[in-house]
Amino acid sequence: MKKLTTFIVILVVVGTLFAAGTKEAKAEGAPITLEWWTWDPTMAEENQQIIANFERENPGVKIANTIVGTAEYWTKIRIQANQNKLPDVFTMSSGYIEEWAKEGLLYNLDSFVERDDTFDLFYQSIFDTNKAISNSDSYYAIPFALVTTVLYYNKDAFDRAGLAYPTDGWGWDDFRSAAKKLTIDKNGDGKIDQWGYWFYGRYAHVEPWIYANGGTLLDRSTMRFSPDKKAMDAMKMLTDLVLVDKVAPAPKDMSAFQQQDVFPQGVAAMWVDGSWFVDTFRKNVQHDMRWGIVRVPSGPSGSNTLTYGWPDSYALAPNTKHPEMAWKFARYVAGEGIGLDTYMAGKIPSAKKLATDPLFSDPNQQPGKDMDLLIEQAAGPMTTSYSMGWGEWRGYGGSEALGLNGTIDAIVNGLMSFDEAFRRSTESINAVLKRYYK
Amino acid sequence: MRHTPYRWHKPLTPWVFVLPTVVGLLAFKLLPIVSALYFSFTEWSLLGSPLFIKLANYRELVSSEVFVRIVRNTVQFSFVYVIGSMVFGLALAVLINVQTRGIAFFRAAIYLPVVTSAVAVGIVWNWMLGPTYGVINNLIEAMGMTPPYWLADMKLALNTVATVQVWKMSGYYMIIFLAGLQNINADVLDSARVDGANAIQSFFRITVPMMASTLFFVLTITIIDSFKNFELIYAMTKGGPQNASNTLVYDVYLNAFVYYRIGYASAIAYVLFIIVALMTIFNFYVRKHLVEGLD
Repeated sequence: MKKLTTFIVILVVVGTLFAAGTKEAKAEGAPITLEWWTWDPTMAEENQQIIANFERENPGVKIANTIVGTAEYWTKIRIQANQNKLPDVFTMSSGYIEEWAKEGLLYNLDSFVERDDTFDLFYQSIFDTNKAISNSDSYYAIPFALVTTVLYYNKDAFDRAGLAYPTDGWGWDDFRSAAKKLTIDKNGDGKIDQWGYWFYGRYAHVEPWIYANGGTLLDRSTMRFSPDKKAMDAMKMLTDLVLVDKVAPAPKDMSAFQQQDVFPQGVAAMWVDGSWFVDTFRKNVQHDMRWGIVRVPSGPSGSNTLTYGWPDSYALAPNTKHPEMAWKFARYVAGEGIGLDTYMAGKIPSAKKLATDPLFSDPNQQPGKDMDLLIEQAAGPMTTSYSMGWGEWRGYGGSEALGLNGTIDAIVNGLMSFDEAFRRSTESINAVLKRYYK
Repeated sequence: MRHTPYRWHKPLTPWVFVLPTVVGLLAFKLLPIVSALYFSFTEWSLLGSPLFIKLANYRELVSSEVFVRIVRNTVQFSFVYVIGSMVFGLALAVLINVQTRGIAFFRAAIYLPVVTSAVAVGIVWNWMLGPTYGVINNLIEAMGMTPPYWLADMKLALNTVATVQVWKMSGYYMIIFLAGLQNINADVLDSARVDGANAIQSFFRITVPMMASTLFFVLTITIIDSFKNFELIYAMTKGGPQNASNTLVYDVYLNAFVYYRIGYASAIAYVLFIIVALMTIFNFYVRKHLVEGLD
C-alpha cells in the first residue's frame, strides 16, 4: 500500500511538472497548426509542395490540408460550420459567399485588406467582384483565381469552310452567318455531321450571351427573377439557333455525349463555356485539333466588354484562433507565394505577378496569345447572376435538368413554346427566391 | 452429461457481443429516423440551428404540383420495376434451370449487371440509347422505323430508366427463383406430364403455386428495391426532362444535398416512409390471406 501511495505521488508530481513545461513551451514557441480545406483532389501534390514551402518560410507553423472531393465538399463543410469547427482557411465558392457571409460564417477581411496594401499584389477588380457577389460592403474572401466565359472555335473547321476566324468585334449576325456555313452534312446521308454551334440550358452557355447584350436575369432591387427585354432577346436568339436557323443540335440529340466533349470531338465548330476548359483541351485534345478563344459576340443592345466571370476564393473561419497567420497563409496560397505551375490553365490568377507571367500565354501551347484575352477580361467589368438559392433556381449539378436550365432545354427540345416555358419558370424560380429574400 | 459453465460467462456476457450492433443501430438508424421526423417540422440549411416551422414543409408538399407528379412517378417506377423484375427474373430462372454444358457461363453473365456499378450501367445505357449514334436507335432505324427519344421524351424517360433498372437487377431475382425452382420435387412434374399436362399447364398449375412463398418473398424485396432508384436516375436523366423522371428518393437527394433544404427533404422522406409502410401492410395482408395456405 505504501509503495502504491509513493508511486501515485511521483506520478502526480511528474505529471504536474510535465503540464507546466508544456504550458511554458506554448507560451514561448507557440507552435501553430492551421487547418486548410480544399475541394480539388487533383491538386494533392501541388498542395503538399505549397505547404512544404510555407512551413519552411514560417518555422513553428504546420498546415494540415484536407482535400474533400467536390461532390461532398459542401455537405461536409456545412456540417463543420454547424459545429463551429470550420477550418482556419477553406475554399469558398462564389455561389455561397452571400449566404455564408449573412450567416456570419466568414471572417471579415476588410482590416487585413486595407492594412497590407493588398491591391499592390492582387487585382482589385477580382476582389471587388467577390464583394459584389457577397451583396455586402465588405471583403469576405480572398480570390485565388478568376474564371470567365469565352467563345471556343475550331480553327480547322473554319479553314476548311474558308472562313475568317472570329474576332472580339463579332456581333450576332457574324456569328449566325459563320454557324450556318459551318453546319455540314459531310456524307450526304441527311444527318448533320458538324454543327456550327453547341449549347444547352447550362449557365455558362446562356448567361454570357445575355450579359454581352446588356441584359439581366434578376431585378436586384426586389431580388426576383425578372429577365429584361435584352435578356429575353439573347435567349430567343439562342433557342432560334436550334429551332429556326438549325445550326445547333437540340440537347436531346446530344444526350450520349458528355457536354464538354461535343466541341473537342469536332461535332460542333463553336462553343461558349468556362475558361477552365483550356486546361481540359490542352490535356485531351493536344494537337489533334487547332482551336482558339475570343470574346462571346456582342448583342445588338450591349457590348461583350462586360464579362460573365466569377472568382474561386479562400475564406477564413470567423472563429479562427490564428487570424493573422490564417490571413498570411491565405494570401500565400492565393498566389503571393506560389508559381503558375500550380494553376489549372484557363483560371486567371488574382495575383498580378502570376497573371503577368509570360508563361500564362505560353506560345507553345494552345491557344497561345489568345490567352491574353483572359487577362483583359479580368481587368474589365464583370457580372454574374449569383444569389442565394442560385443552384436551385438556375438548375445546377444534380438539378441540371430542372430550374432555368431545364426550361431552356424544354424549349429547344420542343417540349414547350418559348413564352409558355418562361411563364412557368418565372413562377417557379420566384417561388425559390421568395424563400431566401422574403 | 452436464457441462460446467465457462467461468468467464456472466449474465451480461451476451450483451457485450450484441452491444456494437445495438449501438450502431441506435446511432446510425434509429436516431437519424427520429431526428428526421423532428427536422421535417423545421427549416434548416445545415448552417445555424433548425428553425421550427410546424407543418409548413408538409403544407408546401401538399400544395406543390411538382410533388404530386413526383409521387406519381415513384409509384409508376415501382410498378414497372416490380412487374418487370418478377417476370424477367422468373423467365430467366426457368430458362437456365437446366443442366447443360456452359450453363454456368449464362448464369454468371445474367448476374453480372447486378454487381456492376449503377453509374457505369447508366452511362453505357445512355450511349446505347443515344439518338444519333446509339446502337439501339441505329437498329430501329435499320428496320425502317423512327426511333424515339428514350430519355428526352417526357412520356418515356421514367419507363426507360425503370426498364434499365429491371435489366440490371433481374439476375439477382433470377438466383432466388432458381433456388425455388430447384426445390420443386421433380416427381410432381413428371406425374403431371404422365397425366397429359403440357409445359404451360405444368408451369401455371404446378410450378407457380409451388413457388408461392418464393414469389411472395421476391415481391416483397422488389417492392423495397423499387424505391432505391437514385443512382440510375442521377446517371441517366437527373430527374428530367421537366421532372418527368424525378422520384421521391431523387427529390430527397436534391433538397438535402443540392439545395440544402434539410427540413423539406426530411418531410419528403417521411412521405416516402408512409408509402413504404402502406406497401408493407399490404404485403402482410397478401401473405396472411393468399400465401400462408400454400406454404
